[in-house]
Amino acid sequence: MLTINKSSENNKAVLSLAGRLDTVTAPDFDKTVREVIPGITELELDLKKLEYISSAGLRVLLTAQKIMNTQGTMSVCNVNETVMEIFDVTGFSDILTIKN
Amino acid sequence: MTENKKSFWGDLREKLTGDDMFHDNEVNANRLGSLILLVSGILLGIIIILTVIGVFPLPLESVLSPSIQAIVEILILLILCRIAKNDAWWLKYVLMIGLVLVYARLDSMLTHKVSILMVLPVVFSSRYFSRNLTRFTAILSTVAFFFSAVWGAMHGFINLNIVTMEKGTEMIATGGFIGETVRNAGVSDGMLIMNTLLYDYIPRWMMFSITAIISSNIVSRGREMIISQHEKDVKTARIEYELNLANAIQADMLPNIYPAFPDRSEFDIFATMDPAKEVGGDFYDFFLIDDDHLCMVIADVSGKGVPAALFMMASKIIIANNAKMNKSPAQILTDTNEAICSNNREEMFVTVWLGILEISTGKLTAANAGHEYPVFFSPGEKYALFKDKHGFVIGGMRGIKYTEYETVLEPGSKIFLYTDGLPEATDAEGKMFGAERMLEALNGSLSCNPVSTLDNVKLSVDSFVKQAEQFDDLTMLCFEYKGKTNK
Repeated sequence: MLTINKSSENNKAVLSLAGRLDTVTAPDFDKTVREVIPGITELELDLKKLEYISSAGLRVLLTAQKIMNTQGTMSVCNVNETVMEIFDVTGFSDILTIKN
Repeated sequence: MTENKKSFWGDLREKLTGDDMFHDNEVNANRLGSLILLVSGILLGIIIILTVIGVFPLPLESVLSPSIQAIVEILILLILCRIAKNDAWWLKYVLMIGLVLVYARLDSMLTHKVSILMVLPVVFSSRYFSRNLTRFTAILSTVAFFFSAVWGAMHGFINLNIVTMEKGTEMIATGGFIGETVRNAGVSDGMLIMNTLLYDYIPRWMMFSITAIISSNIVSRGREMIISQHEKDVKTARIEYELNLANAIQADMLPNIYPAFPDRSEFDIFATMDPAKEVGGDFYDFFLIDDDHLCMVIADVSGKGVPAALFMMASKIIIANNAKMNKSPAQILTDTNEAICSNNREEMFVTVWLGILEISTGKLTAANAGHEYPVFFSPGEKYALFKDKHGFVIGGMRGIKYTEYETVLEPGSKIFLYTDGLPEATDAEGKMFGAERMLEALNGSLSCNPVSTLDNVKLSVDSFVKQAEQFDDLTMLCFEYKGKTNK
């Protein structure tokens, strides 16, 4: 189960994720990202309530990061310990802008 | 029906009965036909009994002879069904003719009281999803019930509403039903027949025609549904077949004959891969680069199933090709990343741990591209996670430079490699197996060889997840370094 909360003002969008981001829920997240991303210059992902992220979820983060690299900035905030460990192990902590 | 019997009659049979996909349905429909006949026979028996004991105050002879005829006919049909085991192309036509005749016979006896009988055969015929059969039954019913209406007007239960009489006609009751009195009053058969057809048969036929239209529509729609279901079944079966084949091809791509190096006494290696679906995105690999260098790989592609499997096949080949060019682990990963990134619009990626062991000295050089920590075991100690330096996953971004590290394996050392399917194996309550339990299982197998070490870990995972469905691919590799042995 994954709940995504969207909020946006001007050119900034914030997506708050709660639950599990895995093979089952990644397509939903992918869809939301693609809906939100056109035209914005700042994307913030709030992972405060994200319990788990699988490689399918990481793939969506990577896609979002690559798109945002061409049109603005993307940051990830409130990363908990479990998810941070996954970011560290997979090397994602090197390519993401993580603000805690 | 066997293939070689399929001559002229076989072709005709196919034309009459439709394709084989309707065969099972037809047998079931024939079975329903037998049931309808049986119930009709029992109801007729009850009518006879009720007439004999006087509950139905009908003249016994007018009930007995048509009922018994009908019962005999039903028995013959039931025997035919039995002989044909409900499975013969002609049976449905015989059943329809039989049912129409039985019901028309009853209709001729009880006339307007049982007018609903006319629609039953055509409704039942729709169960076969055969347009020809429903048309045939509709025409047959129209004709048979026409004659039963005529016969009923002359001899059956009279419908008083259709009797017209000359002004001033007087009748003397003969006792029993008024119909008998009317017949005895000398009304002409011609008038009765004409009026029955006009006021009974034609309105009834109009209602019947609506039922026939509805049935015919059910037939067409049902037929389409069966055909589309059949097409889906064929497609599913084909996909299943292809996936099974893909599974076998994928398994064959990985070294899977053990002992893998029967003539090398310096080490022992064993690995397994259990995909969560038919094919998986995990893989392991090991091969000798030259006489003194063994390359070991474990990798995990993002996602699962067919997309992951396709990506896995490409990754495995690219890594192995790079490794066989005598490059260092970091260089192998760096070059593999460039090769994969050049054609990866789907943003798939793969995590890889790759190590090259110098067999004569025990020197291990390894690099890690976003993969789980390897587990090392040195003699006299315990299995422990080796928190090595991680690079970014392969395929994620161009221009990544991977770094490598070195360590020396003492004889008796072991390496355990795995994918995240192991620590993230989840039980029914959503609890994960975790690295702790994994290390516990490994430390319970300190004296085991690689084969039984993996067996133990698998047992431990299985007893943890119990009945829960395997959610991710699960791949493990165990390597034991024995060092130089005196031959």
